[in-house]
Amino acid sequence: MTISGAHVLDAHVRIGASREAALPVDTLLATMNRLGIDAALIAPPERCIAYHNAEGNALTAESAAASGDRLRAYAVANPWRGTDAIADLDRARSAGAVALAVDPVLQGFDLHDGLLDPLLRKASEWNWPVYVRTGTPPTALPLPLASLARRHPDVTFIMGRSGATDFWIDAVPALRYAPNLLADTSYAPWDTVLSGFGADPAVGPGRVVFATDAPYTVPDVELQRILDWPLPAADRARVLGENLAHLLP
Amino acid sequence: MDIPIVDFHTHTPAWDHASWLAGTAFTPADFTAFLDSAGIRAAVVLSHDGLFHATPEANDRLAEFVAADPDRMVAFGTVNARYPGAVEEMERCFGTLGIRGLKIHPWLQGVSMHEPSLDPIAEVVAAHGGIVLCHDGTPPYATATQIAAFARRHPTVPVVLGHAGLHDTWREAIAAVTETANLYICLCGVPPYAGRQIIERCPTDRVLFGSDAGLSDQVGQAYAVARAHEITRWGVDEATLRRVLYDNPRDLLGGWPQ
Repeated sequence: MTISGAHVLDAHVRIGASREAALPVDTLLATMNRLGIDAALIAPPERCIAYHNAEGNALTAESAAASGDRLRAYAVANPWRGTDAIADLDRARSAGAVALAVDPVLQGFDLHDGLLDPLLRKASEWNWPVYVRTGTPPTALPLPLASLARRHPDVTFIMGRSGATDFWIDAVPALRYAPNLLADTSYAPWDTVLSGFGADPAVGPGRVVFATDAPYTVPDVELQRILDWPLPAADRARVLGENLAHLLP
Repeated sequence: MDIPIVDFHTHTPAWDHASWLAGTAFTPADFTAFLDSAGIRAAVVLSHDGLFHATPEANDRLAEFVAADPDRMVAFGTVNARYPGAVEEMERCFGTLGIRGLKIHPWLQGVSMHEPSLDPIAEVVAAHGGIVLCHDGTPPYATATQIAAFARRHPTVPVVLGHAGLHDTWREAIAAVTETANLYICLCGVPPYAGRQIIERCPTDRVLFGSDAGLSDQVGQAYAVARAHEITRWGVDEATLRRVLYDNPRDLLGGWPQ
């Protein structure tokens, strides 16, 4: 499959072995080649997001460096680690990381307990987008993320999974509330959730980024959904890659 | 893989009372055309309006909808356990309307699975050999273990977790199904990696599939067609997939469709 005219950028995958799913880097690259995905932002596996942050950052940095610009690294650091977390991010940045990935459930914090704020100040300083995995009550939801985003207006946040599934109902209100928040497409049907994003005057295709969320999904299906979504070609190109590419160095 | 599908989780259009999450209007003929396009042999059609406002009229319209093609559609109606007359309406659903089961949506309907008012309704379901299908995956009113507790209060009633725990409680759903003999699990809205785990770890004869069709803003139910296609890409062997997609739901529905 090729996608003519669009630079396709997958906004979120997790490489390595997570609890019930795994994504070896060679499998990721083969899938990208098969589907016509030009580049992907890679996060480390679950245990490295939760605890073994330095190991995870080394894994993503090495994988990105070896990929010939196909892969770009998210940095991870559990906010509970305080100044050590900042030091980890600093090292990850030196090794090439271009964004921060956060998972309040895996990392065991609340978006509003203050633990994340020092990391967000670094993201602001370095001009990093911040991916926050959402969908799980009570600590990983779209609207609390929107409130957080409003407190950090110079940081662009990606609402990972856009609240999938039942908190899809909060996604558009969150996007309306925080203009520096972007939706991601993973799991979202085009004929319900994505069409709602596209039709809302405050959201639209300019605030939606394509993500496969591999290895939890079937990437072919995630991409096909975006191709099936009836959008003007220019808007589809924005969703598939341009919206996110603008945020990366 | 060419496996016929019995889709255990679809909805009628929202006719009157769904002020959101309503999708678009469609006819029974539109719906069977969707079934054809997705390779679905037959479907359990659940109430939609009734989840927002559980009236006898909602059940009447549901029964009328599936009567258009009883070889391909069976109905699960709904009542709100807090409404006066709910037990009598459940009796009417089975005795007069030919409905085969009860759909409960605890968070839309605002009913906890622990409420005693559900029990006489479940006894009606039991008396008619019916099935309960419950939305799940969403705290605080619709977790798998809450629904399992209800199922254990009514051990002769098959109780289906309508969403297999969705993204966040599917591990809990596996535990609940494994320890509750009359609890079934419907792969509907779970991510593929979780679906594979459910198929591998749950008793295979109690795993079902559902597309959640009926909520699309397109008559053709594009997302539901995609879900029916996607499950064949999960890497599940054909024999197991056949049980999930066809044999298990057909067994649970007493050999329907023929």
